Amino acid sequence: MPDPVLYTQAMTVAAVVSALCVLATGWTRSPATAERINLACIAGLGLGLIAGYRVIHVRCAWPPINGLDRYLTIVLPLIFSIELVAYWPRLPPWGVWCLRIALAVTSSRILLHGSIYLGGPRSVWTTAATYQLLLLSSLTLAVVWWFMTSLSRRSPGISILVALSLSTQTAAITVMLAGYVTGGAAALPLTAALIGVSLAASLLRAPALSEGAVGIGVMGLFGLLFVGRFFGGLSTAQALTIFVAPLLCWVSEIPLIRTRQPWQRAVLRLGLVAVPLIVILVLSKRSFDRDTRPLLGVVRTQVEVINS
Amino acid sequence: MRRYLSALVMSVAVGMSLCAVAQTAFAADDYTFDLVHSSVSFKARHLDISWIHGRFNEVSGKFSLDRVDATKSTFELSIKADSVDTGNKARDEHLRQPDYFDAKQFPTLDFKSTSVKAIKGGYEVTGDFTMHGVTKKVTISLEGGKEIEFKGTKRVGFSTNLALKRSDFGFDKTQIGPIGDEALIFIDFEGTRK
Repeated sequence: MPDPVLYTQAMTVAAVVSALCVLATGWTRSPATAERINLACIAGLGLGLIAGYRVIHVRCAWPPINGLDRYLTIVLPLIFSIELVAYWPRLPPWGVWCLRIALAVTSSRILLHGSIYLGGPRSVWTTAATYQLLLLSSLTLAVVWWFMTSLSRRSPGISILVALSLSTQTAAITVMLAGYVTGGAAALPLTAALIGVSLAASLLRAPALSEGAVGIGVMGLFGLLFVGRFFGGLSTAQALTIFVAPLLCWVSEIPLIRTRQPWQRAVLRLGLVAVPLIVILVLSKRSFDRDTRPLLGVVRTQVEVINS
Repeated sequence: MRRYLSALVMSVAVGMSLCAVAQTAFAADDYTFDLVHSSVSFKARHLDISWIHGRFNEVSGKFSLDRVDATKSTFELSIKADSVDTGNKARDEHLRQPDYFDAKQFPTLDFKSTSVKAIKGGYEVTGDFTMHGVTKKVTISLEGGKEIEFKGTKRVGFSTNLALKRSDFGFDKTQIGPIGDEALIFIDFEGTRK
């Protein structure tokens, strides 16, 4: 059963741990460089996630037996490793993107491993349908990843991470409302950790926002929505809307808006991203109320029964 | 010499024929599940005040009965997790989710016997029961086994029940919720052969 108190504790712990990790870079005598803050953001996200998952007792089986296990034990460690390796001076930018694309291509396959969707006698899809899905989902992930990273380079600001955090929070609630409580709960520490590093980075007046943190946010969101869609009760429309919503941050790059104050653009970005997310939340709540009414023993009047 | 040789050949031929007849008579009988006359149902506590009843609508299996040497008998059962039916669509959908059966990842619940022994009124069957990706040894007492012939088809029926704890099979303990951890499973099946 969902435990709001426990979830709040987990989110608080994740946010505080990740923020402290980033702030620690500012306590050293030498001035915090952008590179150091960015590395601290990645470390902060990682430690925040671990702390948050410990609080909500997310079960993490090894070897992984289901989609969520594979997300937590394979996909997340891979994205953290790639974003840390990206700071290795000898690795050229195209090399980093090769690693990111490799993860984008393989992550869907990893998450679906052993399920009824993949080949074999139990498969519900044809081989062609499977390849189509894997290709389309990889492409969507790569496109969103590239656009969000480009935006963080072109017009940095904490609003990008906050937008990803909003989407992740919506993913958490929607996945839970669709009936997959554990899957939704797994998104909450990521939401809080993204907010934690964003606020801490802004306190340190980080000159540019970490590409790595954006990558972790995008990949983390994708994995949760993918698991929620293919193993839980999330619909394709819900998952896609939540995943692409942060792209609305790009509206701030329209020439007329681009010249506005940074805070005005940040508010516009977050406001625009929030609109589709709120619509998704309202629709999900309605659907949840309709489906669970009989389970909760709510007695309907005869008129309601006839109208339904 | 010739008489001895023909007697020897004859004895071998008769012996081989007897062996073949005996093998046919004592060979295990193979049965396939008659889904129309089989059911797998269950009940679990709700809020610890009452019981929720449900069933699995899609079940398949086969078994082989050796009437002479019961240890050579085998039983296999496969239940489609997706076919869970508690009489409420929303609840069934919830039970298919990863917090419960995780039907997309673990589409079937399987039982395969590893040892069988005859007991009074049936068989005691020990085997591997796999649910939610976890395999555990369970022992069940199958009551029945009497074969009858009905309209040219030979039928054997068995009944059993067992209690399982969901938490023993990798279900998340924090998600046990209003439906109790322990489920009582009732299995009744008929097998047919020509």
